[in-house]
Amino acid sequence: MVMKNPKLAQGTRRKLVPLQVLVPVVSTVIALGIGLLIIAATGASVVEAIEAFWDGMAGSDFNIGASINRAISLALVGLGFIFASRANLTNVGGEGQIAMGGMFATAAALHGAGGLPLGLAFIVPLAVGTVAGAVWGGLAGFLKAARGTNEVISTLLLSFIALPLVYWSVESFHLLRKPISDVSSLPESAEIPDSTKLPLLFPDNGSPLHIGLLIAAIAVVVVWLVLKHSTLGLRLRAVGLNATASRRAGMRTSFYVILAMTVSGGLGGLGGAIMILGQQFYLTSDFSSGYGFDGLVVGLLSRGSAVGVVIGALLFGFLRSGSINMEISAHVPSAVVLICQGLIVIVIAASALLTNRTVTR
Amino acid sequence: MALLELSGLTKRFGAFTALDDISLLIERGEVHCLLGENGAGKSTLCNLVFGVHRPDAGTMTLGGEPFDPRGPAEALQRGVVMVHQHFSLVPNMTVAENLMLGRASAVLKPQDIIVRMEQLAAEYGLEIDPEARIDELSVGERQRVEIIKCLLGDPQLLVLDEPTAVLQPDEIDALLAICRQVALRGKSVILVTHKLGEISRVADRTTVLRQGRIIETVAMEGADIRSLVRSMVGRDVQSAGSVLAAAVDIEGKTPAKSSSVGPTSPGEAVLQISDLVYRDPHGVPRLDGLSLTVGTGEIVGIAGVEGNGQSELGLILAGLAAPSAGAIVVGGTQVTGCTPQEITDAGVGIVPEDRHAVACIKELSVAENLYLGAIGKFSRFGLLDKSARRKAAETMMRDFDVRASSPDVSMASLSGGNQQKAVLARELSLDPLVFLLAAQPTRGLDVGAIEAVYNRIRAARDDGLGVLLISSELEELMAVSDRIAVIYRGKLVGELAAGSFSREAIGAMMSGHAHV
Repeated sequence: MVMKNPKLAQGTRRKLVPLQVLVPVVSTVIALGIGLLIIAATGASVVEAIEAFWDGMAGSDFNIGASINRAISLALVGLGFIFASRANLTNVGGEGQIAMGGMFATAAALHGAGGLPLGLAFIVPLAVGTVAGAVWGGLAGFLKAARGTNEVISTLLLSFIALPLVYWSVESFHLLRKPISDVSSLPESAEIPDSTKLPLLFPDNGSPLHIGLLIAAIAVVVVWLVLKHSTLGLRLRAVGLNATASRRAGMRTSFYVILAMTVSGGLGGLGGAIMILGQQFYLTSDFSSGYGFDGLVVGLLSRGSAVGVVIGALLFGFLRSGSINMEISAHVPSAVVLICQGLIVIVIAASALLTNRTVTR
Repeated sequence: MALLELSGLTKRFGAFTALDDISLLIERGEVHCLLGENGAGKSTLCNLVFGVHRPDAGTMTLGGEPFDPRGPAEALQRGVVMVHQHFSLVPNMTVAENLMLGRASAVLKPQDIIVRMEQLAAEYGLEIDPEARIDELSVGERQRVEIIKCLLGDPQLLVLDEPTAVLQPDEIDALLAICRQVALRGKSVILVTHKLGEISRVADRTTVLRQGRIIETVAMEGADIRSLVRSMVGRDVQSAGSVLAAAVDIEGKTPAKSSSVGPTSPGEAVLQISDLVYRDPHGVPRLDGLSLTVGTGEIVGIAGVEGNGQSELGLILAGLAAPSAGAIVVGGTQVTGCTPQEITDAGVGIVPEDRHAVACIKELSVAENLYLGAIGKFSRFGLLDKSARRKAAETMMRDFDVRASSPDVSMASLSGGNQQKAVLARELSLDPLVFLLAAQPTRGLDVGAIEAVYNRIRAARDDGLGVLLISSELEELMAVSDRIAVIYRGKLVGELAAGSFSREAIGAMMSGHAHV
């Protein structure tokens, strides 16, 4: 008899690789495998597609830099998500918070910040974008604390408000739309002044990698410290787990709900500001295109861990770069990668049922 | 021939064995009590019989035929009915409407139900107005509706899970009489309880469960109550202790008071409640001009049937609800409508009645729960000093005999008794502390833990604290309090001093029948 005891095998494996790591990795591999099958089904050359995909992700210093730049914004939104979820709040409004952050950062960069000295030229727009996102998130927190409005609904609906606001701002000449110079002028803002663009980390080798990486790294460390080791993190957790008991223990529960959503939204707003100041340089109506929802997925996949957010953001950042190139060079629809992302989420969600199964009495 | 025969029943939940090799006969026409502490497996056993769970091993027969219900519906079909601890009645419908639910065919015939209700009233003394709305009824009356619902189909076996926990004394008497009537008509009754007084009054036989096993089954004629307690607990409880007296409570005698209880002359007032009014969100007055004073070094008990304002009083004292009118002063400080933090700062410790919803956060560790109100105490620059907190928690756990493998295990992994000891530890370690509210402090605890809680409360009193004890257990109040005030419909309707406690007098006041 060579039949293995599956329970035993699982038991030993659990010791070697923690399930929290194993599950996302296996999910990703499975999803990518299915993605390859779909590519084959579209009739494109799989080899060519993979080459184009790899080239787009990491084929050159430029591509690596672009991938990491994408990951930066995703990481910030993901950090915002896990920050709110520590207080048992689900911020699905990353898209709107990015939009507000990007829009106000653009406005600040175009109107006044450009002439500031000592790096303030880009720091001020970043701060303005962060505050805009924080207000947008904090609004949902306030509604939750004051009226009990479900934050999933309010953050989602606030996104549906924020996106048309961006559209409006780039459509209106008296707001952010650049003057029409010829018939092909698109509804978008003027390019922000050079002084407000984020400084590059390696200006000599053509990599677009900018100091947003350092900002995101600091954010990762701070969020990790706060959630894991600070009194604030414990209070957020307590309020999220049991608001009544926390109130009895003397905590101002409303304050922590609003704070959690404000910080969460602020991180999203910062992500939006970095997108504009770091790489796009001008505002378009759809500049946030899906980053908020990808960031939400990054937050979900990380299972509340800041390190998990970094891994997830890099994964999604590289996937996105690869998929764009795959579409351009190999004519494989980038939707295939979106399908893969969706599959990763579904597989992980399904496997969560396995790993989270507890003894129920 | 026995009506119900259980042989070798085993039920596991994950790694936890709730029932282990249970074999038992239930005879026709007997009232069979299941006695055991919390977690002994009583409810699980009932749920197996009623088809809520299915056994992992073993078989059942009912009336000689194999019985393996796949769900309550099948059990009902075979004539097995159950009254759960939590009622399943629709509050804004009438009694008759509720009785028609679940058995309504396409055409509703209210008249049939009313005729049947009259029959049941005549047979068992189960009188109730068919037109009354459920939310107008008392808890005892609602339970009566549940029982009527069960008896409508003329069942063979009636299972009652802790039916007396929510009742006042005269309602308990009525319920026990109904059980006897049901048994006299050849049906069988399984009655789950942990109150020995009831067992000695109604049971034909009693089966004692402990940790999922049957310890013994005894006929009640000539049985020794004290030996039942020993089987239930598995050790000798301090035999003269008030716990045993409270638990035994044979035939309503006042339990012997232990020597530590005595009216040390109470000092100045630490808690003064005057004309407290509380209206719930629907405008219904739950507290209606309640006034009360608790002095230093005394334990004041609040007796009352549940739902007469005790819970609201507890919430207001904890700062979780704001009174509509009235004033609360603790040690000279006005705390009316103050936040929980301000109330804590005034020197008030609170043991809330709902341990899981209010007193602790079960997902957090024991140490985190012990310092839930003082998270900032062990921190530097906003970062937690977990090792210092662990050390302090270990000391506190030792002092208060909180048994857990480490301060870092989750609160949920502790037994109810140890959770409650942890809550007491936290609240009694407050500084300053002049007053303690203990609301239903022993609810759901086993006998050993109850003893520990009583001792802590008495020690707090001896240290000069004023203690307010809210409890639905009369025996508990009589064993621990220096003074008992009775609450009825949001008002205190009478008060008895130590030495003059009498079950009958308190019971009458609890039901609003008499004033002293």
